[in-house]
Amino acid sequence: MIFENMGFYFREALLSFKRSTLMSMATILSITTILIIVGVFLLISTNSSLFLKNIESQLEIIVYLEDNISQAEINNLKSNIASIDGIKEVKFVSKEEAYQRLLKDLGEQKDILSAIEKNPLPSSLEIQVKDPKVIEQIANRITEFKKVEEVEYGREIAEKLLNFTYVFRRAGMLVLALLVFASILIISNIIKITVYARRNEIEIMSLSGATSWFIKWPFIIEGFLQGFISSLFSIIILYNFYIFAVDKVHQAIPFLPLVVDNMDLLPIGIAIVLLGSLVGILGSMFSVGKYINV
Amino acid sequence: MIRMFHVYKNYPNKIQALRDINIHIKKGEFVFLVGPTGAGKSTFLKLIYRGIVPTKGQVIVDGINIARLKSGYIPYLRRNIGIVFQDFKLLYNRTVYENVSFGLKAIGATNFEIRQQVNKVLNLVGLEHKRKIKPHLLSGGEQQKLCIARAIANEPLILLTDEPTGNLDPYTSWEIMKLLFHINIRGTTIIMASHDKLMIDKAKKRVVRLERGRIIEDTQRGTY
Ligand SMILES: Nc1ncnc2c1ncn2[C@@H]1O[C@H](COP(=O)(O)OP(=O)(O)O)[C@@H](O)[C@H]1O
Ligand SMILES: [Mg+2]
Repeated sequence: MIFENMGFYFREALLSFKRSTLMSMATILSITTILIIVGVFLLISTNSSLFLKNIESQLEIIVYLEDNISQAEINNLKSNIASIDGIKEVKFVSKEEAYQRLLKDLGEQKDILSAIEKNPLPSSLEIQVKDPKVIEQIANRITEFKKVEEVEYGREIAEKLLNFTYVFRRAGMLVLALLVFASILIISNIIKITVYARRNEIEIMSLSGATSWFIKWPFIIEGFLQGFISSLFSIIILYNFYIFAVDKVHQAIPFLPLVVDNMDLLPIGIAIVLLGSLVGILGSMFSVGKYINV
Repeated sequence: MIRMFHVYKNYPNKIQALRDINIHIKKGEFVFLVGPTGAGKSTFLKLIYRGIVPTKGQVIVDGINIARLKSGYIPYLRRNIGIVFQDFKLLYNRTVYENVSFGLKAIGATNFEIRQQVNKVLNLVGLEHKRKIKPHLLSGGEQQKLCIARAIANEPLILLTDEPTGNLDPYTSWEIMKLLFHINIRGTTIIMASHDKLMIDKAKKRVVRLERGRIIEDTQRGTY
């Protein structure tokens, strides 16, 4: 029954587009605007999240080694640490390397070092962890290994940063939830207006003995098309705007990490299409329901 | 065809629109429903097509108890009932032809059936030459004829008309009446709510009189 009549439903939906072009255009324009607002927020929050991850990943553990450590002991220690759960990378920095880094950091002031005969810097292991939340736990374990002079991981900074990112992510989630809720309300109200404009047709169909699904389908298709087309428009606009904005930002701050990979932007596009189409479908379904059965 | 047993209808605002209605309307009858404005005529008609449900009592239409009818079956009840409203309820952005075909499409008739039935009923009411124009270009009488055409396109068992001649001149009213008699003779049961004294007296049909929600008179071959 449903699929036999699909042709009719589609024709009715398209006919209604044609009959009330202005209304449909106004509807699409309004939904597009709402979806763009949601999209801008999603872009901002994806980028902030990338930014935070970036900062978090710069948190590392530095293990200073005793001067009398042998190469075999270094290798042994390295593999012992690497086998701890949650370690991403372990890198050895020799005394010489540490000295060269210092020279480089000092730049013009490197003469200071000429007063010192012997290289005073210890060799070290630089450790990156997968999840910054466990950094303290891992650091504590490493302290117990032999030939380890000192373990450093910027405890206070790490704690503050983790607290901040936690609050920031929660707040972002809350705002997103509110924004999506508001946009669902607004879009379904816009759809309601288009259905209201055709309540006479709904009433007549209902009184003629049309089943409620027969009445609903053209509206569901129309609501879907309105939502879907709006989401495509908003994606096109957002994408172009975003490419432009990224370019401008990179001109000003070249190394700021921004989401530029299309694959990373895809979820935002999908979210917008889903939001537009689903609310279009459900909004029209419920609004039509109100005028059926008089 | 239609039976009511001790039917009451109260609206949410506590108005008792119908009180203790008992009636039996047989297949093929023509019944005038008369009474002053607010007597409950429209409410009576709404109960039959299940636009509303009774507050108390039973309404049986073609063997179906409408209060117990599951909402999924309401459409099938309504396919047996044609309705002509006081306020026309035409679709003014569709042509005369489309106004009739719309209801047939809505119940899933084939294109062939639709074409055949629409032509048939437009011929019957004398609007076949105006099929391509929009209803706002029709006179009041023609719009009412279009409503009748739409209501009978599906060949329903029952035709309900709510003051169909309320806004028409006597000549046009009588034309509409003749049309309804013609439809009645073909076997359709007709209930017509009306104020039209001249016509009711002339028609000599069954008259059911409502006053403040009660039936106060029910006469075969009655007068207003
Ligand atoms: N939907 C409604 N809600 C509340 N009261 C109504 C409604 N429809 C009708 N009424 C009231 O019920 C009474 C009967 O109305 P109605 O059946 O329309 O009478 P008639 O058609 O004979 O003029 C009137 O007092 C009217 O105001
Ligand atoms: Mg009335």
